[in-house]
Amino acid sequence: MTIRIHAPVGPLADDSPQLAPVAPALSGGRIGVLDNGKPNALVLLIRAAEGLAERIGGRVVAVTAKGPRGNAATTCSPQVLATLSKEVELVLTGSAD
Amino acid sequence: MTDPDLLELADESPEALYALLEERGWGDGLPVVAPTPERVDAALAGAHADEVIAVLPPRGGAATRRAIAVNAVLAGCPPELTPVLVTAVRALGHQRLNLRGVNATTHPVAPLVIVHGDAVDDLGFNSGLGAFGPGNRANATLGRAVRLVLLHVAGARPGPGDASTQGQPSKYAYCTAESRSEWPPYHHSVGVEAPSAVTVHCGENPHNFHDMESGDIERILDKAASAMATFGVNNACISGGEWFIGLCPEHAATAHAAGWERGDVADYLFERARRPAGEFRRQFELLSWAGWMRDAPDDEMLPMTQEAANIRVFVTGGAGKHSCVIPSWGMTRSVTLPLVP
Repeated sequence: MTIRIHAPVGPLADDSPQLAPVAPALSGGRIGVLDNGKPNALVLLIRAAEGLAERIGGRVVAVTAKGPRGNAATTCSPQVLATLSKEVELVLTGSAD
Repeated sequence: MTDPDLLELADESPEALYALLEERGWGDGLPVVAPTPERVDAALAGAHADEVIAVLPPRGGAATRRAIAVNAVLAGCPPELTPVLVTAVRALGHQRLNLRGVNATTHPVAPLVIVHGDAVDDLGFNSGLGAFGPGNRANATLGRAVRLVLLHVAGARPGPGDASTQGQPSKYAYCTAESRSEWPPYHHSVGVEAPSAVTVHCGENPHNFHDMESGDIERILDKAASAMATFGVNNACISGGEWFIGLCPEHAATAHAAGWERGDVADYLFERARRPAGEFRRQFELLSWAGWMRDAPDDEMLPMTQEAANIRVFVTGGAGKHSCVIPSWGMTRSVTLPLVP
């Protein structure tokens, strides 16, 4: 017999975060690094950013932490995000702590 | 069918439901109860279904009363537990709990739900033998429903939404209830003056300690201090983290008979669970410490949390002399809310 059931996920909140649109082309782009505060993350991120810059003919122009009292378990300060959004086309960071 | 929230399942068998969940990446891997509109309506009990109780990261899902009820049904919760689940979800949404971090961390943290007060007996929670499980429907299904809300509404699936390196068994279900003791209930100690309440603490599995022999509370608590003073827990490098100490009723009675209150237990553990500052420094390059701890010389004995108030004592379990300490993930604070029927 057919039954109907509710989906368990519920709606997204009105202000739920959305992924930024994909940049049309990275060639010659400015790259930023956002340190997520985990041990060795900065070393890895800078190395990856430099490798990417070499491949696309771009430049690493910003390396920054998340802001005052920022660490792996906290979100980035709005000021840092605002600065990065003006200075770079692409940011490399770590998504977990 | 026009309601996008409703799915049609051609076969009502448990196997068909199981297959649907697997296909969609839903569920916790265990069989579920079908969330039919009738069952969901019973769980809602006439409440406003679209009211948003919390917005849960990382997905940014709106935990509406309906979404909470759907997951309650999936978990097997009887309808009378819905207010407890709603209160627990409300706690998950508090900024101080930092659910975004709880789900993003590689640590195995899981939200522990502790039910306090009249609701324990009224709703059939087990605060006695085996309080952490298994075998009691209220404890098991309430804990499981919290996890299902996290998986579905918060999007905390291992990998994209939950980065825990190994996970831990309490990520299936993690709920206990407070036993009656000679002390006032825990929630009164944190300023929640209600007949019943719910606490959510994001931590590790319980770490057992036992003392079968002594009627000496200091000897008993020295074993708790020993279980706490380890470098393997996040509390060792994050001094703002809390500890939950789950005393069994017999250990709590020993403390009470000696004239100790909850705060005395916390004060004692704060003084006894210590390691030399130099040892901490040898173990960690990154120490998120209070300022006064950073300035300590290497030979000074430092506590496993920066203040005694971070050591929170509750009573749970039945006969016997096993208690537990529950370390924190660290960057999170427990939340205790009154239970509103």
